[in-house]
Amino acid sequence: MIRKLSIYRGHGETGRFETFEVDLGPQATLLDALEYLRNGTVSDLVYRHSCHHGSCGTCSVRINGHEKLACLTPLESLYAGETDDDPIVPVIEPLLAFEPVADLAVDPGRLFRSIPERITHVRESEWINGKPVAPQKDSPTVHPSGIDRYERFEDCIECGSCVSACPVTARDWSAGFGSAVVKLEDGSPALMPLPDTPPFMGPAALAALHRETINKSERREELLALAAQPGGVDSCERHFECSRVCPRGVAPGKHIELLRREIREHKEA
Amino acid sequence: MEQYDVVIIGGGGTGAATAYDLALRGFTVALFERGELTSGTTGRHHGQLHSGARYALGDTRIAQECMAETRILRRIAGDCLEYNQGLFLALDDPGEALTEDFVDACRAADIPATEIPPRRALELEGRINPHTRRAVLVPDGTIDAYRLAMRFFASAAARGAVIRNFTEVTSVETQGGRVTTVGIHSLRNRRDSTIKTQAVVNAGGPWADRVAALAGLDVPVTPAAGTMVAVEGRLTNMVISRLRRPSDGDIVVPQRKLSIVGSTQRRVPSPDALHPLEEEIRFLLGAADELVPGFSQQPFRAAWTAARPLAGRSDDDGRSISRDIAIVDHGKKDGVRGFFSVTGGKATTLRIMGEMAADAVAQYLGSDETSQTALFELYPYAHFWRVQ
Repeated sequence: MIRKLSIYRGHGETGRFETFEVDLGPQATLLDALEYLRNGTVSDLVYRHSCHHGSCGTCSVRINGHEKLACLTPLESLYAGETDDDPIVPVIEPLLAFEPVADLAVDPGRLFRSIPERITHVRESEWINGKPVAPQKDSPTVHPSGIDRYERFEDCIECGSCVSACPVTARDWSAGFGSAVVKLEDGSPALMPLPDTPPFMGPAALAALHRETINKSERREELLALAAQPGGVDSCERHFECSRVCPRGVAPGKHIELLRREIREHKEA
Repeated sequence: MEQYDVVIIGGGGTGAATAYDLALRGFTVALFERGELTSGTTGRHHGQLHSGARYALGDTRIAQECMAETRILRRIAGDCLEYNQGLFLALDDPGEALTEDFVDACRAADIPATEIPPRRALELEGRINPHTRRAVLVPDGTIDAYRLAMRFFASAAARGAVIRNFTEVTSVETQGGRVTTVGIHSLRNRRDSTIKTQAVVNAGGPWADRVAALAGLDVPVTPAAGTMVAVEGRLTNMVISRLRRPSDGDIVVPQRKLSIVGSTQRRVPSPDALHPLEEEIRFLLGAADELVPGFSQQPFRAAWTAARPLAGRSDDDGRSISRDIAIVDHGKKDGVRGFFSVTGGKATTLRIMGEMAADAVAQYLGSDETSQTALFELYPYAHFWRVQ
C-alpha cells in the first residue's frame, strides 16, 4: 500500500517539511515506515529507535501535533477517513521542548537530567497472574528459589512525550527559565517570563519523584522538598496534557496532584 | 585531527561493553554509531536474562558463561534486570523424558536448576498450562536491553570515552599494514572528518561484514531474522520456557506490563528493515498459548524482527573462550594490524564480549592491564546524559 508522509528534515533555521512515499503492508507501524525510508531512498534520515515494542521510550515523535511512540502507531491508523478527493498526508515532527539533533531526533538528555539522581527503576511487582494485586509484603509463601519478591521495571519509559506535550515545559525548556501566565488589566491572559526562576522540572521528573516517595519511603521528605522548590509542582498549570499523551498510562498529572497534596499536608503537620 | 587509542564501530551492547572495558584500562576511546545507540539488534532482543538453562543440553560452556554473566550483571547492573526466575515446563512425553537430563546438564553448568511438582509450579504461576507434566525452576530473568547497554555507555563516558551516535564510519585507512585513520560522516551536521587511531574494533553485529569491508576485509556473518510478539498484560512473573531441545516459539518473557513470546529463525539476505511475517506471528501466538493458555487472547501490542548475527564458530587465533563469541584479529588473519572484529554472543553475555575484545586490543597495544568490568557497579544509565 503506497502512503505519503510529511516529515520534518534538518533543524533550526534550515528545517523544512518533505513529503515521502512508503510502500508497506497493512501491519506496518510508523517506525517501519521510517526504517523503510532510511533503508531506501532517504539513507540519512535521523530518528531515534531501539526496542520496537514500546519499552525503551526512544521513538516518541509528534504526529499531526500529538506525541506518540512511532513503534506502536499502526501506519494505516493515520489514514482513517481518507477519500480519493481528500488524501491524507500525516505530518511527523520531533518532540518540542528538547534540543533538536536533526530531523526527528532530539537529545533526550534534559529529561534524564531533570529526574533526581538515584531514582530506582525497578520495584516490587504488583502483578500476579495477569491481575494487579496489592503488594504482598508479608506473604507466607516462600519462593522455592529463595528470592524474596518479584520485581518489575517502572512503567515510565522516559519517552519525553509528556514533556513535549506540556505547554509549560515546552516554553520553559526552550527559554531556559521559568514563566507564568498572568492576567492583564483587561482580564486577558499574558505570558510573563521569569528569568530568575528555574524552568519547570516537567511532568516526567515529578512523576518519577513521586513514585520514589512510595518506593523509598526513607527519601520522602527530601523528595517532597525538591518538588516544592521553584520550578516544581507550583509551576504546573494543570493542563493535564501529560496524562493524555502518556503511552504507558503513568498519568504524571495525577502524580503531580498527589505531590501537591502531600506537600500541603506535610507543611500542616 | 582528533586522536584516540581505539575507535569502536557499532553502538550496540557489544560496542558499549568494549568501550567501557577499554576506558577502564586507561585507553582513550571513541565509539561511532550510525543510528541511535542500540538501534540495531541490541534493543530488539527478546529481553531474556539467560541463566544458561536453555543452552545446557547443547553446550555446557555457553551455559556456564551465561550463568557466570547473570551473577555479574546482578551485581553491576541490578536495576536493569527483573530477576524473577524461570520455569521450564514439560508438556509432552519427550519433554517429560528429557527432564532428568535437563536438570543434570544445568547442574553440570553450575546452574541451580530444581525440579518442583507441577502443582507447586501452578501455585507460583497460575496462568501456565494446567496440564504441565514436569516443571524445573531456574534463575532466568528479564533484561531492559536498552537501559543495560546505556549503563555501559554511561560508565564508558564517565571514564572519558567519547560516544557519538548518528555518526557513520565511512572509511578505514591503513599504512604499512597497520590501521591509521578512520573517516566519519556526522548525520547531525552532515560534515565529514578524519580520526587518527591505533586500533579499530568492529562491533557491527549482523552488519559486521559491511564494517569489515571498509578495511577491505571479509567477516562471515549470516543474518538470521528472529521475530517476537508482545501482548498487553503481565501473565506471569517468571520467564516461562518449554522443556525440550531449543526450538522456535518456546519462551515467554514477561516485562513491565507486557508478555513477549519468541522467537523464530529464518535466513535473510540482509539485516536491514526486517518485518515480521504474518505466519510467524500466528505461529508464535499459538506456541505461547501452549505455555500460557489465553496468551493470544490478550490485546496485541507489537511484533518485531531482530537480526541475529550468526557468527562463524571458529576463531583462527584461538583467543575466543566461548565458541559462541568470536574475536578475529585481522592482523594475524589478514595482515591488517590493529583491526579486530567481535561477533556472535547474546545480550546476557555483552560484558564478557567486551572483555574479550578489549583483551585482544590491549595485548596489541602492548598493555598488560586486565579487565575490571566485573568488579564495579555500573553508573546509572541516566548518568550518560550528565557526562556526555
